[in-house]
This record gives sequence, C-alpha cells and structure tokens, in this order.
Amino acid sequence: MSADQEKLIAELVEKGLAGDMEPINAIEDRVLRSKAKAALAKAKRAAKVAAASAPAEEKPAEEPPSDNPNQKFGKMIEDKFPGSLDADLNDTHIQLKPDNWFDIATWLKSEPALHFDSLQCQTGMDLGENILEARYNLHSMTHDHMIEIRIAVTRDKPNIPSIEQIWRIGDWFERETYDMFGFHFDGHRDHRRMLLPEDWEGYPLRKDYEVQETYHGIIVPKVKQGWE
Amino acid sequence: MGLLENRFQDNVVVAKLDKLIGWARSTSPWYFQFGLACCAIEMMATAASRHDLERLGMMPRSSPRQADVMIVAGTVTMKMALRVKKLYEQMADPKYVIAMGSCATSGGPYWQHGYHVLKGVDIVVPVDVYVPGCPPRPEALIEGLLKLQEKILEERPLTRKMA
Repeated sequence: MSADQEKLIAELVEKGLAGDMEPINAIEDRVLRSKAKAALAKAKRAAKVAAASAPAEEKPAEEPPSDNPNQKFGKMIEDKFPGSLDADLNDTHIQLKPDNWFDIATWLKSEPALHFDSLQCQTGMDLGENILEARYNLHSMTHDHMIEIRIAVTRDKPNIPSIEQIWRIGDWFERETYDMFGFHFDGHRDHRRMLLPEDWEGYPLRKDYEVQETYHGIIVPKVKQGWE
Repeated sequence: MGLLENRFQDNVVVAKLDKLIGWARSTSPWYFQFGLACCAIEMMATAASRHDLERLGMMPRSSPRQADVMIVAGTVTMKMALRVKKLYEQMADPKYVIAMGSCATSGGPYWQHGYHVLKGVDIVVPVDVYVPGCPPRPEALIEGLLKLQEKILEERPLTRKMA
C-alpha cells in the first residue's frame, strides 16, 4: 500500500468513526474500499475495548468491604487465632502458618457458621527457592462456600500438622503429597508413600528432583539418543 | 516320507516327533491375562467375540503357571517391572513374551521424561515379538500372535543345537 493510500484510509476511518460512512462507500477501487472498511472495523473494536476496560479500573475504589469468602473467613480466622496468618488477605487464598493449623482446621469444621465439612483437594507445590507449599481446598455442603488454605514451609523442615483425623479423605491426600513433595505430616497415623514403591529415593515433583540411576538393578537411562 | 509311506491305514498320520511338538505348541499358546494400561482394553477386544482369539487356539489364563505366552499389555512402571519379572519367572517353559504397544516396547510417551517408567520391557524379560501401536488395533495384535506362532512352529525342541 502506498503512503497516499494509507493517509487516505486514515482520514476515512476518522470520518467513519464520527458516523459518516459516505466517503468510504464512495470509493471506486474495490480493494481500497474493503481495506478502508477493515481498518474502520478494527478501530471501532479498539474503541469498544477501551470503553469496556475504563470503568473497571474505577470500580474497586467505590467497592464496599469484600464478601469474598477468602477475605471474610480469613478475617474470622485472624480474629479467633491471632497471628496465624502468614500474609495479607486476598481474594484467592488464605496464607497460614503451619504452627496451629490443626486447631484452626478443627475449628473450621466444627464452627456452625463455617462448617467446612468437605476437604475437596489437598495438594502441594514447589515454589522453588527452598519453599514448599501445601494447599487445601475446603467446601461447606451446608453453606455452599469454599476457601483455599495455603501453608508454606521450607525444605529443611517440611513439617505440617496432619488433618487426616479431621477430614478422613485427607489420609490418602496427605500420603500422596508426601509421596510427591516430601512434606511431613505430623500426627498422620499411616505415613507411607502412596503411589511409588517404599524404597524409592527422592520426591519426583520437587523442582530439584533427580532421577535415580538404578532401581533394583534396573538401569534407568537418563539421556536417550537417536530419537530426537 | 520314504519307508513309512503307505504302510498304514488312511487315518494314520506320520510325522517327526520334533515337528509334531512344535506344531502342537504353536496351535495352543495360552496367554497370560495381564493388562497394565490402555493396551489391555485392546487385548480384551481381541479376545472377545468379534476378533475371537480362540480360533487361533488361544485362551486367557489367570495364572502364570498355566500360561505359555505373556502379553505385556501396557505401561510398565518401575514398581511393576519387578512384578513382571517375578511373574515371568513363575511361568513354565516353554514361555514366550509379546511386548504390546509403544510403552512395553520402548517406554512410549514416557521415553524421555517418565522417571517412573521402564523404557521397554525387554530390559527385564526376553521379548519374542514386538507389536507397535498406541494402543495397537486388535488386528495388529493378531498379526503379532501369528508371527509368534510361526516362530514356535519353526522350533525343534528335540534337536540338539550345534554349539
């Protein structure tokens, strides 16, 4: 496209945005006309997106105190067990310290206003830099609300109180998390590996995991050649 | 057949015992019901009425002691590898192994990054026939089994092998 045509299209788009479609429709060259129309459509879409995103930026300022369950129940936990939060409250999760997690969990299940009777998922995460994080997704069947609890520990001391006796499903969840990440769940009554054999070395979902060289005399080839 | 020919009644067949044993073995290789992953579904389909393995003289056995052929159908993990070996050792001679599908032949999709998968079942047991596919269609498995039958048919169990 020549510079002249570009300039012409820019002018036409400007007019089109203002509501004047006449000049575009009056172009005789078909290719040029369709190019101008495409440019106009693009400009209109961009304007629409800009209009949609603008009010969203202003919204949080006038919002009332959040009724997000992670904010609401995080505050309740902080009131009941002062100093147990590990980070500021936010919309996605509640960050707790491992120390009195067992008491908090017991309270979360027994408190009538919360009544988290279902542990939907428990898993782990290796955040790198020596930090491992256990995550718990809790749901209440009676009140139909859910929260996510996260507890960060270090690799040197990956101890977290076990909630296996509070939510029985936690038995296998915690065993799998131990199997894959090497957390230690204090108070778990059957603290064994879940999937891998008992004599497996290392925890495979840690970032620094290294595949063992042999397993019971079976050589594990590390680098495969010829198939790349 | 030389000297023996036409000396007996019509319903008498004369054959070398050596060949006869090979023929008998090749037409009734009972296989070990041993599914490990998705390949097991194809193996079941092969055994079921549409493809019907029994017309080849094959029937599934649930015990390694009654089986002649072990079809390793599926991904063999490190944990399972020890058991595969143990089961193979419990089978009575003569015994054969078919590696069915990519996982059993080479590790398949876990070739490079599967820390827990045995890269081919031939690392722990000797394999007679490899059947490629992910998973192989029943026709492919039958092809493999026919190849195995050919192999058994050519065996001469009574002939002394030259060193």
